Amino acid sequence: MERPEFEINIGKNGKVTVEVKGTSGKRCLELADLIKEILGHEEKRTLTAEYYAPDSKVRINTKVNRN
Amino acid sequence: MSAVCVLTPLVITSWPVLASAIAGAAASMGFTIQPAVVQDENRKVRKKGVETEIENSEIIKDEIGPGQKIVITKGDISIEIGQDERGACTVCVTGSKHSDVELRAIGEEVAGRVVQQFAYHKLMTELKNRNYSIVDEEVLADESVRVRVRL
Repeated sequence: MERPEFEINIGKNGKVTVEVKGTSGKRCLELADLIKEILGHEEKRTLTAEYYAPDSKVRINTKVNRN
Repeated sequence: MSAVCVLTPLVITSWPVLASAIAGAAASMGFTIQPAVVQDENRKVRKKGVETEIENSEIIKDEIGPGQKIVITKGDISIEIGQDERGACTVCVTGSKHSDVELRAIGEEVAGRVVQQFAYHKLMTELKNRNYSIVDEEVLADESVRVRVRL
């Protein structure tokens, strides 16, 4: 299973960009909030396609039709 | 990737922590730190120069004596970093061979580097305290610092 990751870029002007990878939905926002809590003021947040993806626990039902 | 956030660090800290960030910024920009300065507020002589401040900064009271400053120099440029009456961190740049516009740009660059150093150390400390693994870190060509952290 993929583990969530932060990719953090600290610019020479002091601005910090954080990308949360490897997770989706509510968990992703919780992780973004963690960095905000450490550093302070959030200017902008963008949610990408992965955020809207279903949670990583996927159940696949297979039924074999023996007709 | 699933979310991207842009953050402006709040530099609310003690003088020793800020002094360490200033030292890191000065070294990375080729400035030399001068011996500690305590300026008598009553005899303060205002030099001609350009003053800017570190955005969203506040030095915790009682951590810095009145008039205490850090001075860094490079060539004719001298930069005094201290605190104003509101507690914000100020950056005052003087240099006889530079215009005010150039001095302001230098002051803003130094202020940005101080915030970069502060943010880097704060993030590293807090993430390590939470037992997260620093997978990779590097200084990029644009002098930004990139860190990958695994949870």
